[in-house]
Amino acid sequence: MLSPLIWLPITGALLIAFLPTQMTAKQARSGALAIAGTVLLWTVWLFTQFDLGNATFQMQEFLPWLPMLGLNYDLALDGLSLMMVALNSLLTWVAIYSSPDKTERPRFFYSLMLMVSGAVAGAFLAQNLLLFFLLFELELIPLYFLISVWGGPKRDYAATKFLLYTASAGVLILIGFLGIAWFGHSFDFSYESVLQVQLPLQAQLILLTILIVGFGIKVPLVPFHTWQPDTYVAASPPVAIMLGGVLAKLGTYGIFRFGMGLFPEAWSIVAPGLATWATVSVLYGSITAIAQKDIKRMVAYSSIGHMGYVLLGASAFTKLSLVGSISQMVSHGLILALLFHLVGIVEDKVGTRQLDVLNGLMNPLRGLPMVSALLILSGMASAGIPGLVGFITEFLVFQGSYSVFPVLTLCCVVGTGLTAVYFVILINRTCFGRLDSQTAYYGKVSADERVPAFVLAALVVVLGLQPSWLVHWSEATSASMVAAIPAAETVQIAEAIPESKL
Amino acid sequence: MFAQTVWLIPCYPLLGVLLSFFWSPALVRRTGPRPVGYLNLFTTVVALLHSALALKAFWHQPPQFLEFSWLQVADLQLSLPLEISAVTLGASLVITLLNLLVQIYALGYLEADWGWARLYSLLGLFEAGMTALVLCDSLFFSYILLEILTLGTYLIVGYWFNQSLVVSGARDAFLTKRVGDLILLMGVLALYPLAGTWNFSELAVWAETAQVRPLTIALIGIALVSGPVSKCAQFPLHLWLDEAMEGPLPSTILRNSLVVATGAWVLVKLEPVIALSPWASGMAIAVGSISALGGSLIAAAQIDAKRVLSYLASAYMGLIFIAIGSGYTDSALSLVLTHAFATALLIMSVGSIILNTVTQDLTQLGGLWSRRPVTGLSFVFGAAGLLALPPLGGFWALSDLLNHLWQDQQWLSLGIVVATNAVIGFALVRMFGLMFAGDRTPMTARAAEPFWLVVLPMTMMAGLTLHLPLAMNRLGLLTEQLPQGSQFSASLAWILLWSSVLGIAIATFFYIFPRRLSQNQTQDEQADAPIGSAVVQGARQVLARDFYTEEVYAMTAIALVDRLSRFTDWLDRYVIDGLVNLVGLTSLFSGEALKYGNDGRSQFYALTITFFVALIGLYMGWSYLMDWLPTQLTANALSLLP
Repeated sequence: MLSPLIWLPITGALLIAFLPTQMTAKQARSGALAIAGTVLLWTVWLFTQFDLGNATFQMQEFLPWLPMLGLNYDLALDGLSLMMVALNSLLTWVAIYSSPDKTERPRFFYSLMLMVSGAVAGAFLAQNLLLFFLLFELELIPLYFLISVWGGPKRDYAATKFLLYTASAGVLILIGFLGIAWFGHSFDFSYESVLQVQLPLQAQLILLTILIVGFGIKVPLVPFHTWQPDTYVAASPPVAIMLGGVLAKLGTYGIFRFGMGLFPEAWSIVAPGLATWATVSVLYGSITAIAQKDIKRMVAYSSIGHMGYVLLGASAFTKLSLVGSISQMVSHGLILALLFHLVGIVEDKVGTRQLDVLNGLMNPLRGLPMVSALLILSGMASAGIPGLVGFITEFLVFQGSYSVFPVLTLCCVVGTGLTAVYFVILINRTCFGRLDSQTAYYGKVSADERVPAFVLAALVVVLGLQPSWLVHWSEATSASMVAAIPAAETVQIAEAIPESKL
Repeated sequence: MFAQTVWLIPCYPLLGVLLSFFWSPALVRRTGPRPVGYLNLFTTVVALLHSALALKAFWHQPPQFLEFSWLQVADLQLSLPLEISAVTLGASLVITLLNLLVQIYALGYLEADWGWARLYSLLGLFEAGMTALVLCDSLFFSYILLEILTLGTYLIVGYWFNQSLVVSGARDAFLTKRVGDLILLMGVLALYPLAGTWNFSELAVWAETAQVRPLTIALIGIALVSGPVSKCAQFPLHLWLDEAMEGPLPSTILRNSLVVATGAWVLVKLEPVIALSPWASGMAIAVGSISALGGSLIAAAQIDAKRVLSYLASAYMGLIFIAIGSGYTDSALSLVLTHAFATALLIMSVGSIILNTVTQDLTQLGGLWSRRPVTGLSFVFGAAGLLALPPLGGFWALSDLLNHLWQDQQWLSLGIVVATNAVIGFALVRMFGLMFAGDRTPMTARAAEPFWLVVLPMTMMAGLTLHLPLAMNRLGLLTEQLPQGSQFSASLAWILLWSSVLGIAIATFFYIFPRRLSQNQTQDEQADAPIGSAVVQGARQVLARDFYTEEVYAMTAIALVDRLSRFTDWLDRYVIDGLVNLVGLTSLFSGEALKYGNDGRSQFYALTITFFVALIGLYMGWSYLMDWLPTQLTANALSLLP
């Protein structure tokens, strides 16, 4: 049941790339869109089959591949994976939908996009550490091309930086995985058997740190983040949607699955440090975003801040904070995709992303009123205004983390205040202000550009008003993850902090 | 029947808001902007009728509670509780009523504007948000609603978004309110683990027996007070209200009369929790006192008509803060009520003057009394309703507060309330004198009463303000001190009355009579009529510039965030990324050195790659090969057998 999520896009990618017929850009796009749509429908169907009460892995698929290496084709799904896969399928569809009609080398472009989607879906589903690693690395190559061929100025620099950073993240992750085998004297890399391995605490701590740094690069956490603004800025909007919306989640997913999941004892020791790190990331990202002049760069830094909340919730590891974190990954993906899509439209019509140049887009006659309205919506969703999806997920993280890390949680609340500051700057500069009617001859926003924006905006609003549709899927998984972490230490920390917090 | 469907009251205006979305610019071009105004007017009328009927049904009934489950996740249960009682329904009646008048007023005031869809949908949003706020019985949902109203304020202040003052006003309003909201959020987060509930009614029960460490509850209390501080435009977060005046005037009526009071409403509901900590209630009183005196003094020195009223709103909210901090929630609610009506009326009348004199500069106005008697009378009624002048509402509300303060021997607060009342009286009469007395100026020479759609809601508002004491009597808000007023109550009433008279008399002497007498002076000289020494001038300057709050902001909070963001940006570009690039360069150079070891023949590369790919392929496919080969071999062997 899960394999189609991987193989449909990859087969589709190969078909689009190697079918000998002549294909126009439009045809390639519709083909890719059809495939992505099918995958999306398949994901929706998975939701209907998902057993909410079951906290263990579901819909297992197993095919022996290289048993002597411990590498098998082993897929399964729990609440966390389900959310991530859903995000991936949706944003792939959105990214392809939002790709312009006139993309150059269309067959190559769309097949690479589908490759990325398939590989990422595989990574989210993999129940084998080596399989995860392979798919994690597999996603890297098409993305490198996507950035370096279709990117903006400085794309080579950005693509190389992205490649180097992600490759080093991969190396660290591989070292971590191999270390588990080394210390545990077992070369079975399936997730279940690795769970059984009992490691000395010292070894756990070392491996956990390596993995957190490895995945932290992908998230990204400060100070391993400088690839991210460069890459987001250089990438074309659809690629940026995939990068920020989906790929960044591989990092947090990895920390959840292979950090917290595999090393529960060490996790409770590392957690306070990680929470501090997350808070630093939140504040650093939000403050730096205020000084940016390029919208995409601003959104990139905001993304650093928002991914910090995910890690805060993860380090607090209460049931509530984990559900919040997992939902925050989804809500961040949706909002970021919407923002990047809108920025793409603005750049396409107005020809610039510079906050100093843009002005008065809300003008109902000459400007881009609909895009401006949605830009306000997405900015406010990102700033955590209630009624939109960003608020409730952040709130769950905060409420869940407060009992464990009160001071750090309050610092992160300050972070949402800073988020409001830069989004107000963004909206004031782009949407408000006087439009110069002499120069404002902007193209019409086509239906193809509107549909993805409407879909994402609708999700942002609906899930914000009815958050149970978002949070219930990961509840059982979060509960079982919390249960795996030794209770004594959790209680100890929870009691120790309120004494010292004031 | 109306009881169980009370939750529909916020839904009517919300429906109007949603339907307004269809009036995008494209549709407005076809239908004009008017239908959307009438649509929202209709939903407001429906909400008003529903509130009135429900209030009738609930008159003298015990409160009822409804609960709607919203979100249940992990160990957190969020359900939306509604409190249906005469008080909440009365509040929603007031909100819908004022909204109706404001929306009619907007029909006239913004007659020629193209953006009705935005304006009316935002007015509807405020109406929905405020009715939901008064009905809901949960701190969490109150926070949500306040936050949504913050966004609403941003959008409605930014209504004329192509003017730069509007844009910065919207920005400041949003950010100041957001600061308060987030501190409130901190309080919300911190309160739950202690109390285990966010429902106001349960919080009150909890607070009776709560055993909390004093420091913890002090911090929480201060956080809970801080949210309303920004909502109610209290010092030091008061500047936004003044800047928000750049928005359309109808929205200002609503904001200054009702929206600022939402913070006070939440604070009233939270009073039991705040009373747990003397620090928190002390802070409420301190902030309230500073705002009351400071705000009224600043108001008395402004030459911008709208500004006077905006600082008066801050000052009056300060009085309400004093009441809440001292624990007199009933007086606080009476003050909210009288303030809402009187302020709405004052701003309506000022708006009616601004609309066709095209200026809000008090020094350019004058001599309007003969031209604009209806507006002038409305202003007088509004001023009288706000002040402690019997028999109008403000008098009863203020003397109620004063009674409580007297009984608890809060002499300082008592003095501040009386002094504030006097200064408010001075400020209002000064404003009246500058606008209505004296000679006509070039700006006022041709001013007639404006469009009937502006005058009608204004006179209706005046009628409501005049009848407010009757309504308060019915509500039982006057009974405490009316019939058997004991000794101090009567003398207090006299003190209060005399303080109003004093303020009025001084302002009359300086601003109404000189204007009648000195026919030959120029406008500027007239405006500066009570000229004093350099000290007085300096004080005036400080007050006129709002204690230099804007400059203080710019030098502290804004400068801090600005510098810090520039610094981290620099750090990011040159230090962190610089290090990365350095590492990159080093490896690049080593790569350059290494490349001389290669001979560059592509065949050799191809061969190497092919060889290793084959090797890996063989290795990876080994298990299948092993499965497959033996079967093939045996099959072949079998076929070879005879």
